[in-house]
Amino acid sequence: MPHTGNLLFLANQSMPVPEDLLNLSLNAKAILPEGFVLLALIGTLLVDLAGERTAKRWSPPLCYAGLGSALLVLSFQWNGIPESAFLGAFIVDNFSIAFRGVVALSTLISLLISWRYADQSGSPIGEYAAILLAATLGAMLLCGSTDLISVFISLETLSVASYLLAGYLKRDAKSSEAALKYLLVGSAAAAVFLYGASLLYGISGSTSLESIGIALQVSPKPLAALALVFILATVAFKIAAVPFHQWTPDVYEGSPTPVVAFLSVGSKAAGFALAVRLLVGCFSVFDVQWKLLFTVLAVLSMTLGNVVALAQTSMKRMLAYSSIGQAGFVMIGLVCGTEEGYAAMILYMAAYLFMNLGAFACIILFSLRTGSDKIADYAGLYQKDPLITLGLSLCLLSLGGIPPMIGFFGKIYLFFAGWADGQYLLVIVGLVTSVVSIYYYISVIKMMVVKEPQEASELVKAYPLIQWNSVGMPTLRFALLTCLFATAIGGVLSNPLFKWANNAVAGTPIFQEALAFASNQGSLG
Amino acid sequence: MTISTSTELICFLILSSVIVSGALGVVLIENIVYSAFLLGGVFMSVAGLYLLLNASFVAAAQVLVYVGAVNVLILFAIMLVNKQEELKPIKGLKIRRFFSGCVCAGLLALLFRVDITTNWATPGPKAIGEIATERIGEHLFTDYLLPFELASVLLLMAMIGAIVLARRDVISIELESKDSIPQNIIKNSTDNVLLDQSSD
Repeated sequence: MPHTGNLLFLANQSMPVPEDLLNLSLNAKAILPEGFVLLALIGTLLVDLAGERTAKRWSPPLCYAGLGSALLVLSFQWNGIPESAFLGAFIVDNFSIAFRGVVALSTLISLLISWRYADQSGSPIGEYAAILLAATLGAMLLCGSTDLISVFISLETLSVASYLLAGYLKRDAKSSEAALKYLLVGSAAAAVFLYGASLLYGISGSTSLESIGIALQVSPKPLAALALVFILATVAFKIAAVPFHQWTPDVYEGSPTPVVAFLSVGSKAAGFALAVRLLVGCFSVFDVQWKLLFTVLAVLSMTLGNVVALAQTSMKRMLAYSSIGQAGFVMIGLVCGTEEGYAAMILYMAAYLFMNLGAFACIILFSLRTGSDKIADYAGLYQKDPLITLGLSLCLLSLGGIPPMIGFFGKIYLFFAGWADGQYLLVIVGLVTSVVSIYYYISVIKMMVVKEPQEASELVKAYPLIQWNSVGMPTLRFALLTCLFATAIGGVLSNPLFKWANNAVAGTPIFQEALAFASNQGSLG
Repeated sequence: MTISTSTELICFLILSSVIVSGALGVVLIENIVYSAFLLGGVFMSVAGLYLLLNASFVAAAQVLVYVGAVNVLILFAIMLVNKQEELKPIKGLKIRRFFSGCVCAGLLALLFRVDITTNWATPGPKAIGEIATERIGEHLFTDYLLPFELASVLLLMAMIGAIVLARRDVISIELESKDSIPQNIIKNSTDNVLLDQSSD
């Protein structure tokens, strides 16, 4: 980090000399991937000016090019020396690269499955792609932000774009309701975050997370605890942890399904990145307190999410509750605070990307052909559409944690890390709720596979002929097959993924500091 | 007590009482036009607090943005959709109000507790006064450059989003008239609304 000295100088001295400012290095290449996303955003807006037909023709390739080159640059940045950019506002470490990759990939897959949906619902495509790319930009920058101001602005970019996307089907009253609910609850969460952030600024006199972490070591306890609670509430809102989850089912049900796919993976990944940056990087002194709070959140999320999902009749609502439960599982890794725990969290997030998006691709395909999201309408589907049946079965089994799918290995790694760290309560609750979740996932599969032809639902009896040649269908099939392949094969070939996740932890300064801090405390106690 | 400190104290007391009573009025008064005007008063008083803290730029920005733009926009919105409509009474409104009041009171008690038990480092750092504008500018183009640039993307996207939400849906109307593409996604999702609510 060549300019750290300058950075400290800037933080301590209130009036830097102008010549010094000019010599500071921005290290702007750190956000090159985001630059490509931004270029794709501007490109889609420009082609959209030429009319809807041109937008339909050129928006998709532009988005693929932007997100593809972003992913490529991210892979080149992998395992580089962790360095901060923009004078301490952003950091490139393996953790941020991994999560930015997850966000970009989730956007790419969500876009692949959304063209047909947008076409069939008659929504303009250009603006849709642009807003989704803006949400991606915010989420990607959030993963690497190391300054309260950039954290807040990127969080708002992600949130405002998500509100707009949730309400994108204007003629659907449910969609508008989802957008309004999301907007109101989200703004309240943003206000709470600002309150917590202002307390942190008051404690430390700086907006840099690193300086705040140092200042918290000597700060008055009650004040810092209050800031912790406020920040934690925002994080819990973003990852939809119980009891901050009330918006999730309504928003997931009302929003356009491809948007839900993005919200459930990309937005959630960004929320976890925010949690790691703030809690692991900043509140390491309050280790015991935030871990206790997170344990409570995780237990509640796993229990409520998986139990309420049992009673759902709508596929989207069921997946909403299941995603609340899944967030609870991921939190186990964060609470452990061991190397395995962090690696398991990253691994599970990557696994969740493929299995959840695969499930959403199947749901979208079914709703495009029949117009329904109800679980009962899936009855007897295997005779009419084997691909959806196979895909949905694989993805749901993987979400439930059945071997040999990728979700099984992710979950076993999480539970193993939790058990090794002595989080017995979390692991036992996780195991029990996993069994509950397998019950409702399998009941969907049973609905599709076991029913006799005469028991099939009306919609399945009148199932249209399977055609792949209309606009956006080939990309949907491609995304579906990719997710299926990753879900089915990823479990068998999970060793590279394990290595990848361990590398992500090894190449991340905040994790290493937290681990060193924990081992110091262990040797003292 | 010198004249300046006592004036400051009196100004502070007046401003904060206006803020507290105005904010309570915004929440409690049923007529939203009154609420909107009271909100303007609250914003102005907050600007006054900034002035007391010797932050004139922030005070000016507060007046320009919140009173000049946000509050006027709220008033416009109220005036434009000022429909007289009897709203259906919400079930259990009193209990709901009681519970939300309890939550708010609990939060207030928590804040008070923290406020009293904390050893505040008073007086805080000295206000930099007139050069604040320069300092903000410096920060915007050095360590806050990334959020500053990102804010432009945020604003661009918010503008596009507002236009998308507000404009008439030309394409979908065309499609409906042609009747070439099935609209079943939307129709069905509004149909099964009632069924799904019961399962929550």
